[in-house]
Amino acid sequence: MRTTGSVRFAAALLLAASCTTAFTSYSLAQALTGQEIMQRVEDYQRATTDSAFNRMQLSTCKFGVRDSRITCAERPRVMSLESVGKNYGPELKDTKNITIVLEPAAERGIGMLSYAYDDADRDNETWLYLSALGRVKRIASGNSDDDTEPASVFGSEFTTEDTDTGKLEEYTINLLEETTESDRAVWKVEMIPNEERARKSRYARTISYIDKERYVALRVEMYDQYGKEVKRMLASRVEMVNDVWVARSLTMMNLVTNRLSNMAILEIHTGIDVDDEFLTQRTLTDVAFRETELQQLRAQVE
Amino acid sequence: MLISPRPELLAGLLTLLLSTALWAQDEPLVLDDDVSFDPDFGFDEPLFDEGFADSDDGGVTWLDNFTVRLSQQISGQINSHGVTLAQGFTLPREAETETNRFGINLRYQNPFAPGWLLQSSAQARFYWNEDYEYRAGGNRIDSEYRINELFVQRSFGQRSVKLGQQTVVWGETVGNSVLDVINTSEFRDLTIIDIEDARLNQMMLVWDYFGEGSSLSSFINLYPEFNPPAVRGSPFFFEPQFNLTDYDRDDQWLFEIGTQWRKSFEGSDIALMAAYLYENQLRYEDPVSGVGDAVGRKNDFVLLGFSANRAIGKLLLAFDLAYSHDVLADSFNFPGTGNLASPLNLQKDRIGTSFGFEYAINNDQNISLGIQAQKTLDENSGLQPGQTLVNEGVSGSWLVRYSNSLRNGDLVLSVTSQGDLDAESLLLFVGADYRFNDNWSLNGQIISITSSSDSPLVYFSEDVRLGATLSYSF
Repeated sequence: MRTTGSVRFAAALLLAASCTTAFTSYSLAQALTGQEIMQRVEDYQRATTDSAFNRMQLSTCKFGVRDSRITCAERPRVMSLESVGKNYGPELKDTKNITIVLEPAAERGIGMLSYAYDDADRDNETWLYLSALGRVKRIASGNSDDDTEPASVFGSEFTTEDTDTGKLEEYTINLLEETTESDRAVWKVEMIPNEERARKSRYARTISYIDKERYVALRVEMYDQYGKEVKRMLASRVEMVNDVWVARSLTMMNLVTNRLSNMAILEIHTGIDVDDEFLTQRTLTDVAFRETELQQLRAQVE
Repeated sequence: MLISPRPELLAGLLTLLLSTALWAQDEPLVLDDDVSFDPDFGFDEPLFDEGFADSDDGGVTWLDNFTVRLSQQISGQINSHGVTLAQGFTLPREAETETNRFGINLRYQNPFAPGWLLQSSAQARFYWNEDYEYRAGGNRIDSEYRINELFVQRSFGQRSVKLGQQTVVWGETVGNSVLDVINTSEFRDLTIIDIEDARLNQMMLVWDYFGEGSSLSSFINLYPEFNPPAVRGSPFFFEPQFNLTDYDRDDQWLFEIGTQWRKSFEGSDIALMAAYLYENQLRYEDPVSGVGDAVGRKNDFVLLGFSANRAIGKLLLAFDLAYSHDVLADSFNFPGTGNLASPLNLQKDRIGTSFGFEYAINNDQNISLGIQAQKTLDENSGLQPGQTLVNEGVSGSWLVRYSNSLRNGDLVLSVTSQGDLDAESLLLFVGADYRFNDNWSLNGQIISITSSSDSPLVYFSEDVRLGATLSYSF
């Protein structure tokens, strides 16, 4: 079952998009600490994942450098996904998410349902439906915040660690400087994991370039324990969608394997009315129900 | 006709497979420092604009409802040896090509109206030179077509109804659940070892009720069928004394019916089930007159079952329990074999369990274990002096699977080992799946069988099979 390992963390895909989004209303004049900046980014993430309906395209290829510019050295592998999520719990910190593969054809119809709990004592839950298996199957994925090492998301260069949020208390966060990135004024923020977090992390240090006006990370550099930059993420197509700034194109370059993945958020819709029953196992098996509900979701955003 | 073996071709395929696997190993690539640390490191932003352009186009054509897979498979037994069946009698097992076939698999899924779905899947096979179907058909290219799935579904409110050719799968243990007995199966040759690939669809009416955190799923099988006998020429085919035919229904209306209640808790799912079924395997008896076709006998029984799973971190435990009332005591059901045991015509009760675990070693490696064990209750009652049951005491099988995903899932290596609880046979399967891109993929497999003379697999003992399948999906 090729897809199992990667789809366990499909819910993280949506999170990756929202990691770099924030409301425009926070154009702050006062000086903020690095901790406050990253906290601010986090505070608004959930607004973009709650009652959200998205279509995404995940492209992966070997890359090369030509005239100081990055280009794919091969035809990218492209995966199209449709995702619906909603937040639950007293503080809306638990998330239910369902992701369905549209393309490639060989994996079309694979669906995955995830319940992610904010409480560290509760294991996240994941169910998968594979037509070949003929039934819904629970996947033992554990809690990605615990001892699970970072995993590739749908076989891409994005890992769960790249898409993970929260746990800011496990980092030392320093505001290094104010500079520019892609002609935008940015804060350059350094995050160093503490000892406990470092054991679970592939990165010894990350540096983020946060758009001062839009609270979008335009660039993130990831360094290993030897100080070598191993990955770099670049964001582009920053657009206001439903009153939320969203980087609709995220590209993660693995500087070790020379592969990159681009996640293009083709459609992002937040604040839509999602039927609670849609985020249940029924959606995995009952295709007629699923398609009807999806049509209704699409109708809301058209 | 003696077919010349093609070990060189199969060895070439193996070499290709191994070289693919080696080529696909992860090798760290150190980039030039100027590239890695150049602050002006540029990004070709329009690179992925195509996706955005596509999204603007929208529009779904009827062709989008189709999924097509074209495949070419070749496999064979590569170890020339002999199997000693009795003192002084050795069955020669020559290396030979067993399959050389082109396949087309179609899948169609169309939600043609709100709450409605039409789903179908079909396959076509073309048997080329040296395929066992080619030889069985008189050394000519043969073909076969089959509709697997064909059902219409209507969902409304909390309910869903499906009518047509479909499968119903019960049980939690992957691969060898004692509860996975609703649909029939066909293990036509040794290129198929997974029940998931062998399950056959049947004409059923299935209705589901979805409650809060639970569901009730019931079915009526409107035309119960039975495991088909081995195809002439296939590795499982042995010339029977009398021809094995389909069951003669003789205007009887047969049906199967069952229901399952399933509930999910945090970290666990449980299910209770009950069904009235026919044993999937017919029991064949010699014709009364001593001439003509063997007589297929059906047997109905009642199944009561319970299944559960429990996720503990990266460990998933699975448990199935089955109580079967009035099953035929002399039945055995080994993949691909007909039930040719001596008929006792005794119905007995049987209790069976399958249990196991799946463990994610890390994000790329998984290991699973499944054990199935069954015992006939009150074994000796009704037996004549000197008679014994085919399966006395506890009988069953075990299955271990390990898989390792490399190169972000492009290459998946797997090992499956399967045997019986009496340690009389061992089947070892080593497979590799490599995905070149979204369309092309290559699968390679090696299957080795070791068996004692007491096992039905004795005919395949010391066989080594090598196979490869090249697929194009769109």
